Amino acid sequence: MKKKKRGALYYLKRDMFLYLLLLPVILYYFVFKYLPMGGIVMAFQDFNIFKGIFHSEFVGLDVFRKILKSQQFWNSVRNTLILNLSTLAVSFPLTIILALVLNEIRAVRFKKISQSLLYLPHFISWVVVAGIAQNLFNMTNGTVNGIIKSLGLDAVPFLSENGWWIFTYILCNVWKEIGWGTIIYLAALTGVDESLYEAAYLDGATKFQRIIYVTVPMIKSVAVTMLILDVSKMMSIGLDAPLLLGNTKVMAISEVISTYVYRLGIEKACYDQATAIGLFQSVVNIVILFMVDRIAKMIGEEGIL
Amino acid sequence: MRTDRPSQQRKRHKTSPATMLLYGIVTLTVVLCVYPFLNVVACSLSSKGAVLGGHVTFYPIGFQLDSYTEILKKTSIWLAMRVSLIVTLSGTALGLALTIGAAYALSKEKLKGRKIINGFILFTMYFGGGIIPTFMVVKALGMYDSYAALVVPSSMNVFNFIVMRTFFRELPRELEEAAIVDGASDAKILFRIVLPLSLPIIATIGLFYAVSYWNDYFSALIYIQSADRYSLQLRLRQLLYAGEINQASMAAEGMSGQVMAESLKMATIVVATLPIIVVYPWLQKYFVKGVMLGSVKG
Repeated sequence: MKKKKRGALYYLKRDMFLYLLLLPVILYYFVFKYLPMGGIVMAFQDFNIFKGIFHSEFVGLDVFRKILKSQQFWNSVRNTLILNLSTLAVSFPLTIILALVLNEIRAVRFKKISQSLLYLPHFISWVVVAGIAQNLFNMTNGTVNGIIKSLGLDAVPFLSENGWWIFTYILCNVWKEIGWGTIIYLAALTGVDESLYEAAYLDGATKFQRIIYVTVPMIKSVAVTMLILDVSKMMSIGLDAPLLLGNTKVMAISEVISTYVYRLGIEKACYDQATAIGLFQSVVNIVILFMVDRIAKMIGEEGIL
Repeated sequence: MRTDRPSQQRKRHKTSPATMLLYGIVTLTVVLCVYPFLNVVACSLSSKGAVLGGHVTFYPIGFQLDSYTEILKKTSIWLAMRVSLIVTLSGTALGLALTIGAAYALSKEKLKGRKIINGFILFTMYFGGGIIPTFMVVKALGMYDSYAALVVPSSMNVFNFIVMRTFFRELPRELEEAAIVDGASDAKILFRIVLPLSLPIIATIGLFYAVSYWNDYFSALIYIQSADRYSLQLRLRQLLYAGEINQASMAAEGMSGQVMAESLKMATIVVATLPIIVVYPWLQKYFVKGVMLGSVKG
């Protein structure tokens, strides 16, 4: 049968409703995601608010030269990497261990209630988390330091000393996301064939051996995918956590790329520099993404692109 | 099913040290997870002296309700809550409308240009203009210092879109085909068949949008100037670090406790978090499924 060639108008008319649904979506992405990409030209300009994007002078890579020479910029890059890597190093294995443990729990009610409570912190705002952290870890009147002092030890500067601040930052992140993070592993484990456990059980495998030889291989590919996703986000960091947990005493470690861009751009109105840093970050992110994807495919795992 | 095992073996396993250890680990994790909440509630109900001395652990010392009656008088909190309520409701409605529309249209294989539009949306996950150019666009649109700035720029989330689209794709085709035979239009299929079948996923995505609007601090921080349009999180931050309007340069630790009593601060945290805690149990049975779907590659 010969298929009739139809014009674009035919399809537009036939699927009018669907295109109408898409119209606001396309408009949204155009205005709030693609128009700002045009703003990237500011990174190559000596941007002047009064002249605007169309009349500011182009200076080539001068803005980048200025940034790359700035010690503050490199500090923010270093801090971003330190905080991201250390959080990942702690939360990645802990999340998997918690998921494996939860998976072994057979009491349905106990498991359900535990999961509900473990997911809850994910829904709490960083403002509240920082407020709670302040209440718990404060040097002078924090509950945790109250306990430490009652044991006859010295108060710990959880929020005011660089090393301890990293510890507190990781702790808050792990507390907030560990439960939520298990969902994806538990989802992968719901599909595990029970007969595998039966076989291992009959062969005399202990509970621990069954976890290591049956359960762990089941979540390996999910774990690799999660790791790729996390590693590819190494250069991006949410503004909320470091800004809200940070304070003037730990600026040397809490100032990350996002907070630096915020201070530079919004507070000091250095639009060109802040935009250039944003662009630098986006480009590095994409490079890392391609790299980890390539590595994952090389070791025989499914990539993400 | 492992429950099919002979009961003797099951009994032996239930009491084994390994099982005890596993239950112990979960219990301990749950306690660590819940404890900070208990501490906040206990502090909010304790006397000023007990909180300042760091004596409160998980039960109130020097019980009082004054901090809560005082909050009732703090109009700035209620005003901010009203702002956040308006923003959350309108943002969730807008987010759901855009997400459902895009997901439904792009789940149709017959649609011409589907791949291009998909790519157009997904590309923004990997590359963007950054904070400052977005800020300038919002400003140029005249949204600065308005509710619109809190709602519109973050109204659609790519991850939520992928989850929704995956769900629509996996709905049974037969129902839709039967409707097409009956001469139903795309609009009719969406409203009469697809939406009623999608309530769990709509609840899940709705919760995700609502929570992200309710908890949003950043948009308010950069877009809002007038104090009467402060969102709840921005106001909360300001009250917790009292005396400081400029959020970026924070008070040195220890300096913050002077203006507002600690117990009052903790009560404010409780009140600001309560709406989430109240809605949470109703929606949580849905969202696990939602997240599982999201794990299916887009």
